[in-house]
Amino acid sequence: MLGSLNTRVMLEYLPAIWQGFLSTLMLSAAGFAGALALGIVACALSIQPLRWLRLSATAYVDAIRATPLLAQLYFLYFGLPRLGVVLPEALIGVVALSLNSGAYVAEIIRSGILAISRGQVEAAISSGMTYLQRMRLIILPQALRPTISPLIGQAIVLVKDSSLLSLISVVELTRAGQMIAIDRFMPVEGLVATALAYLLLYYLLKLVAGAWSHQNRLPGPA
Amino acid sequence: MIEFTDVHKWFGSLHVLNDISLTVTKGEVVVVCGRSGSGKSTLIRCINGLEPFQKGRLVVDGFDLGSSSVRLRELRMEVGFVFQSFNLYPHKTALENVTIAPIHVRGLSKAEAEVRGRALLEKVGLGDRMQNYPHQLSGGQQQRVAIARSLCMQPKIMLFDEPTSALDPEMINEVLEVMVSLAREGMTMMVVTHEMGFARKVADRVIFMDRGAIVETADPETFFTAAKSERTRDFLSKVLHH
Repeated sequence: MLGSLNTRVMLEYLPAIWQGFLSTLMLSAAGFAGALALGIVACALSIQPLRWLRLSATAYVDAIRATPLLAQLYFLYFGLPRLGVVLPEALIGVVALSLNSGAYVAEIIRSGILAISRGQVEAAISSGMTYLQRMRLIILPQALRPTISPLIGQAIVLVKDSSLLSLISVVELTRAGQMIAIDRFMPVEGLVATALAYLLLYYLLKLVAGAWSHQNRLPGPA
Repeated sequence: MIEFTDVHKWFGSLHVLNDISLTVTKGEVVVVCGRSGSGKSTLIRCINGLEPFQKGRLVVDGFDLGSSSVRLRELRMEVGFVFQSFNLYPHKTALENVTIAPIHVRGLSKAEAEVRGRALLEKVGLGDRMQNYPHQLSGGQQQRVAIARSLCMQPKIMLFDEPTSALDPEMINEVLEVMVSLAREGMTMMVVTHEMGFARKVADRVIFMDRGAIVETADPETFFTAAKSERTRDFLSKVLHH
């Protein structure tokens, strides 16, 4: 089947696929940046002493994890205009990706923090450090290091999830591939071109991840 | 310097500190011993506020730990604490472990803190290990860094919670030697330990605890040769014969 691929059409649509590739890259980058910010805030809320703030963080994480991304996306897409908030589709898409991924990021970071031994906290307390000093100097530097790999995993999931934005008519990679299918009635060519572009994105992320975790490896001989 | 008056503490229904009254004066070295679960660790953890207590009065260096307005952070700057499991910061070098609190809590400049830190690491025999990370050090070396870390805050009181219990036998002495020299320099110390040799050598007083209460308090000579309580003698016969 792959031998019979019409590569001429695929090449003809290369500019469109390239545009889609860049669009997916940017939507995902913006979405993940938002997810990191949301995740850190939600995680911070979930480990601080005020009960109602903890509960609101838990409610957010549960609501996101319990419902499909597609439902969340449609909820924002159809729901926001009813509240009088009219946003461009791409922005709605980025918000949905951030909200969705942020819940998982919060859990990843939280697991890193909870893995820090009580003794580390007690040593820092005993030396007179404030809560913020403990977090900044002792807990977070240790907690974030083992979260790098799961965070990259989450970023990879987010890139693929961004394909759902094609359903609210955001032009990104999946949408670009669909155009080949629709214009030329060549769905397989469209899908293969799209898949190759996602694969490229995946390897780009792995490259970044490798450099990042090398920089952040534990000091001393591994 | 440290004054317990009728202090009680419960973990649920478990009475972990039962009517503790105890005064430690400046420069005194007090060794606390007892079986595990006797409340000896809890006793010293109350002194820097790591554990709350429910009844009684505890005043440390003028800070009243029972009062709700006690400035625990300021107190903790004056009280060094050495843990059984060292609790060095694994992402920091030995020198950084020692200087981090002086820089961020005492507000020393990095240069000042490093002068102080280097001198202390030299003093505990680790002058050649300053740039090593904890995982590159033996247990005995890690515990000596931990002692230097506490001393770098220039505390008035040093608390030790079973500082040699997690160490291989051949490393116990290198840590005890540091503690002995500290005691001889006049540091106020409370040491929870089973190292009776250390108690004999430098303790001004030895305390035996059982089921949350202080059963016996005596100078080392009396404690080891003429303990009044049956439970103390029973305990001593067990720890001294192996």
